[in-house]
Amino acid sequence: MRLTKKAKRAIMIGLIPALVIYIGFAIIPIVVSFYYSFMEWNGFSEMTFIGLDNYKQLFKDHLFWNSLKNNIYVLIASVGGQISIALAIALLLNRKLKAVKFFRTIGFMPVVLSSVVVSLTWSLIYNVDDGLLNVVLRSIGLENWTMNWLGDENLAMLSVSVTIIWQFIGLYMIIFLAALQNVPKEILEAADIDGASEWTKTWKIIIPTIKNTIFAALVLAISGSLKTFDQIYVMTSGGPNHATEVAAMYMYTKTFESLQFGYGSAISVLIFLFSLAIIIIANKLMGQKAI
Amino acid sequence: MLVSVKKVILSSLLSLLVFGLVACSGESETGSDGGSKSEDGKVKLTLWETWTDDTPDTRLLKERVEEFNSSQEEIVIELRGTAHNEYRTKLKTQAAGGELPELFLVWPGAELEPLVEGGVVEPINDVREKYEGELIQATTLDDYAIDGKQYAIPASVSYTSIIYYNKELLAQAGYDKIPDTYKGFKEMIEALKAEGITPILAGNKPKWPLQSVYISTIADRFTGSDYLDKVLNGDEKFTNPKFIESLAVISELKEMGAFNEDINTIDEVEARDDLLKGEGALFLSGSWSTTAILGALPEGMEIGAASFPSVEGGEGNPEVISGISSIGIAINSKLSDDEKAAAKKFLEYFYDEKLYSGLLANGTLVPADVPLPEDASPLFTDVYNITKGGVAPVYDGVLPAELTTIINNGLQGIVTGSITPKELAQQMQDELDNQ
Repeated sequence: MRLTKKAKRAIMIGLIPALVIYIGFAIIPIVVSFYYSFMEWNGFSEMTFIGLDNYKQLFKDHLFWNSLKNNIYVLIASVGGQISIALAIALLLNRKLKAVKFFRTIGFMPVVLSSVVVSLTWSLIYNVDDGLLNVVLRSIGLENWTMNWLGDENLAMLSVSVTIIWQFIGLYMIIFLAALQNVPKEILEAADIDGASEWTKTWKIIIPTIKNTIFAALVLAISGSLKTFDQIYVMTSGGPNHATEVAAMYMYTKTFESLQFGYGSAISVLIFLFSLAIIIIANKLMGQKAI
Repeated sequence: MLVSVKKVILSSLLSLLVFGLVACSGESETGSDGGSKSEDGKVKLTLWETWTDDTPDTRLLKERVEEFNSSQEEIVIELRGTAHNEYRTKLKTQAAGGELPELFLVWPGAELEPLVEGGVVEPINDVREKYEGELIQATTLDDYAIDGKQYAIPASVSYTSIIYYNKELLAQAGYDKIPDTYKGFKEMIEALKAEGITPILAGNKPKWPLQSVYISTIADRFTGSDYLDKVLNGDEKFTNPKFIESLAVISELKEMGAFNEDINTIDEVEARDDLLKGEGALFLSGSWSTTAILGALPEGMEIGAASFPSVEGGEGNPEVISGISSIGIAINSKLSDDEKAAAKKFLEYFYDEKLYSGLLANGTLVPADVPLPEDASPLFTDVYNITKGGVAPVYDGVLPAELTTIINNGLQGIVTGSITPKELAQQMQDELDNQ
């Protein structure tokens, strides 16, 4: 369909407000961050230009690398956990089940809840003394499986990731369910006539048809996991002893608590470049443009 | 071609319009925040505060501002509240953007220093003179002074390290008070454990309690009150065995099983609630917990207060408790002379005997020498009496922010066992040497 000149102009005009806001609040801050990252600045006093010193220091800063490692942990958990579980549930709910609507609502519920509510609830569940999880384990005789889920440095990241996975399964489930509606019925019927099993139908027809949706969900999950902050902030505040600190949180602490605006900007620039790199790699691996 | 030219003109016009709107709203914002004469010719000053909870002390502070407003023809103070946890970040961020109001609450030490360095707060030595030696001791006023310049007058003193204890549970283990020595304290912990009682309730998820509440006073017992200054001047080191010993108190208590198991995953308020539910015998906190405990004390429960016991071979005075002044109001240095005069007038009115005795009557400890009201609760009388022994520095009030982050996280690590006291002391010294 060719757009008329008039329509094109209308679209342009319509885009301008959003574009101005986007440039003002997203593009300009990124550019300004680049600028600040070459400075030593405590927020109040005069800035001094220090070239690449912030970056040099950053590359030696093991706490930063630790926080990035935790981000990758969340990333793997999100991509592995959220996408696969959401897809499995969506495939199940796409059949003629009783009370499909009910299950769909239940599954979507965590997405509607605020992150703070979800995280507070899970911290109560994880509590070592009277948390639901340990109480259940004790009551069924699995006393020695009880753990200090959030208080143990080796377990905390896992526990936090479970919460993050749980919170977003519903979102991807709905996205996949919508995509599954679009799988052509004729092809499935033809496969039935050819005697294809459910397994073959899922792998050979359904998954390839919704491939694009899965790629888009993957990119969403990746970028979401790189931005993780709120759940961890509420559940552990990055503790114990940096065990669950993610990059965004490290940047926040450095900038606003230690008042190193230059160093904090350097961290956010690195997070930005790192995210960009991962998204590009993901796009290349999928061999197409998902976004 | 014509179309594209038109498009460019139109879009630039539109963006001009949008930016214009943004700029206009920005201007009116500073107009209302900026201390200008309002329409009726009054000097209007905005005061940023953290009195958002409805408690007796915040009500009193707001009342004092109201009283000032009604006593003045020419000056109006307008309050703007922000919850405490967000306030400090807001203050720093707005200060960075050069958008501070005329008056704002500040905290001493590491919080005040960058503001002074940045030149955004006005020295008020002439106001200090009216209080020094009269209502408030010079040493207390010094909390808000940097390089001989005074920046605020304190309304209260927060003692950060008080042992609140459940008298009934302590009696079960055969004790009627907290022992005077650390050795006896440990025996009491064992006795409590033998009774199946959680000895100490602590909530260190926010990371500052073990540092501010525990180490500030415990380390003082071992090293003495001038140690921290000496370390920062380079005359002492964090690797001093006395300091390491004080960090080791935390690991020792942890290994004894003195703490609740969820110490690293609950916060201070949750730990306090556990004390009030009778789930443990001791709870270490600052004097700010007194009003909260009294307000929620279940019937029949008796809570006492004590200070941390003396330690063997310690170089500090076992009477002192770490503490820091607070509720100081600073004046923005960018004000006109008229506004500065009005602001000082307000400060002198606000910080008076009536405020101090009122706060004291409500369970807040004050820096001024005013008598304790006769109907004070037994718990508050305890707190009042144990805090008469003197003040030791609070670690996060004195340490630069970087070091505070290291010791805060390190103490969590000591509890989980991933770092030893010696390693933490070394880390702190390394950071100091790097600066």
